[in-house]
Amino acid sequence: MPRLDLFRTTAFRWAMAFAAAFTGLSIVLFAFVYWQTAHYERAQMDTMLRHEATLIANDPAGANGALRTWLRDDAHNVRYGILVGHDGVPQAGNMPSVPKDLWPDTQPQSVTTEAHDPDGDQRAERIRALGLKLADGRTLALGSDTDAVEHVSVVILRALGLGLGPMVALSLLGGAVLGRRALGRVTILSHAISEIREGRLSGRLPITGRRDEFDRLAVDINAMMDEIERLLEEVRSVGDSIAHDLRTPLTRARTRLERSRNAVTTPAEFAAAIDEALGWLDQTFAVITAVLRIGEIEHGRRRAAFQPVDLGQILVEAAELYDPVAEEREITVRVDVEPASGATAMGDRDLLFEAVANLLDNAIKFTPRHGHVLLSLVERDGSLVVTVADDGPGIAEADRKRVLERFYRAERSRQREGVGLGLSLVAAIATLHGFGLTIGDHHPGCRVELTCRDLTDSLSLAGEHSDTASKIEAVDAARDVSAFRSSSSPQQMFRASAGGAVASKTSGKRAGLNS
Amino acid sequence: MPKLLLIEDDDITAEEIASDLRWRGFGVEVAVDGIEGLEVARGGAWDVIVIDRMLPGCDGLTVLKTLRGEDNKVPALILSAMGHVDERVRGLRAGGDDYLTKPFSLVELAARVEALLRRPAASRETLLRVGPLELDLITSKATRGQRSLDLLPREFKLLEYMVRREGQVVTPAMLFEEVWNYNFVPQSNLIHVHMGRLRRKLDASGETPLIETVRGIGYTLHAPT
Repeated sequence: MPRLDLFRTTAFRWAMAFAAAFTGLSIVLFAFVYWQTAHYERAQMDTMLRHEATLIANDPAGANGALRTWLRDDAHNVRYGILVGHDGVPQAGNMPSVPKDLWPDTQPQSVTTEAHDPDGDQRAERIRALGLKLADGRTLALGSDTDAVEHVSVVILRALGLGLGPMVALSLLGGAVLGRRALGRVTILSHAISEIREGRLSGRLPITGRRDEFDRLAVDINAMMDEIERLLEEVRSVGDSIAHDLRTPLTRARTRLERSRNAVTTPAEFAAAIDEALGWLDQTFAVITAVLRIGEIEHGRRRAAFQPVDLGQILVEAAELYDPVAEEREITVRVDVEPASGATAMGDRDLLFEAVANLLDNAIKFTPRHGHVLLSLVERDGSLVVTVADDGPGIAEADRKRVLERFYRAERSRQREGVGLGLSLVAAIATLHGFGLTIGDHHPGCRVELTCRDLTDSLSLAGEHSDTASKIEAVDAARDVSAFRSSSSPQQMFRASAGGAVASKTSGKRAGLNS
Repeated sequence: MPKLLLIEDDDITAEEIASDLRWRGFGVEVAVDGIEGLEVARGGAWDVIVIDRMLPGCDGLTVLKTLRGEDNKVPALILSAMGHVDERVRGLRAGGDDYLTKPFSLVELAARVEALLRRPAASRETLLRVGPLELDLITSKATRGQRSLDLLPREFKLLEYMVRREGQVVTPAMLFEEVWNYNFVPQSNLIHVHMGRLRRKLDASGETPLIETVRGIGYTLHAPT
């Protein structure tokens, strides 16, 4: 993992960004304060000049004296003034002449004048001044030094400097501290993650208990890890189940062949041995095909091809398909399609038929002789519900959820032939269609319901149904997991061995090919 | 001897299939990839082509499409490891006449090849006859001799299918695909039970059975001799 640079931490970058923003804001603020203060000072000055000029002008006779008094009362040595006669000769004041750029009888202005330092040197001084023509024709000019205003800017600049320096320093420090802390936490977390990545999947991220953002993240990641670990465990156990389901028939085929090689003498016996071995091989293909099939369905690429499917018709056809089998076992299959006609769901006709057929297959398989199987389609709460129910032994409540898992077998059904995939296939088909699948009690027996919700699409297509939705519910009694499993397995065997399963003792001309 | 071209890239599988089909009386030639397969297919008068779906060089479907584009109408059976219905539909659209998913049994393959070779011509006949058996396709009535058979619609379809393929061996998988029109494989004994029921209706006591079970393969219907 690349080492994280302190200066690249989010905390540090934010601290810097805040420092920069604050500095900018301070400068604007201080500039505003300066501008306002200077403006105020100048206004004060102007008022004072106007007031004094008016006083002097009101008494032209005593003007010289008044000016001198005003200049004398200048404690801060900031006042300038001059009275010039008609002839242009200064009569009183401390300025050498009326400033050239001063327009009399206007507002106070900023002008430059000659002034004397206390030590006698002449210099140019920037002042605020007001010129006035007296009633007797003389010209009066009053001025005030603007040093006070300039002083304000110096003070403000100093304040700015004193305030900003430490603030920037503090920001840097704070950013560094926060950055380091974040870096520390991140380093700890990334260590923990590295360990998990290296294979210690039970590892979890440390949680400090501070309930901060890192804790929150760690809690989320830990929850994710729990889920990943659970899924991996599931994959592992599915893998184990598949291996087991493959090993059993393969072992049987192998021992059968090996034993026959030594013990069999007549061609007929050889043929029988080969047929038996082929049967076992077909069963391994059945497992593989079933696993692939579920994988295909779970990939869900078929949704695009969904069309409105008449569920009632599917039930009728499935019942028809199984009718002879049920008849043979003297089981009564009843089909109840409640919505008059045209109750459709968006789906894949083949898959939905396969699901219903699987459920029905199980129901018939696990219903005792003279038993009853019910296939029904009803509308309930705006959904279409397909129910497959039987009065067989049912599924133990504890097993109901697990039978939907791939390859799950209740222990007692371990002995039965078949692949544990029938119900998982139904579950995969239901999931692909967004249907609900529940296994319940039929008192007695098993009841599987396939609930088809949210049929807005299909409704618009079906036209007839103004209800919100239709639902499929398949209830059936797969009291025994192997029921479901074996229902898919013989199919697959069928695929694999074709005619072989019809009459399993055959002449030795069959060969399962797998390339 | 019907001439069969097998295009299959796995040499062991190809040899097994070829040997079995030769033993069954076919003249088999093998091509190992799509390009060679296409050339050989163009170069000879074949009665049937068995082609693997996935081939090096040129995909099986492309070969078929090319052949069909050249107006070559040799019946073709596609072998594929992909059993998905969509794949099947694609295969048939590309010009395949039948589609068989691996792993398959050789009897299944042989029965399907035989069926392709002896595809019933599309006829306008409305009356099918095999020996004493008569099927009226318009009224959906079946009779054996003077005896009217009380068949369910599906049984009638099943019987019609068997009659059209008189003398051929049909497998349960073929029946389920063609008669039930569903593309998933049910328990094999389902078809067997249906067939049993049909046969009980077909053959009154003392009559020669019309439908025979061919052990390990399927069923065949023929007129009593």
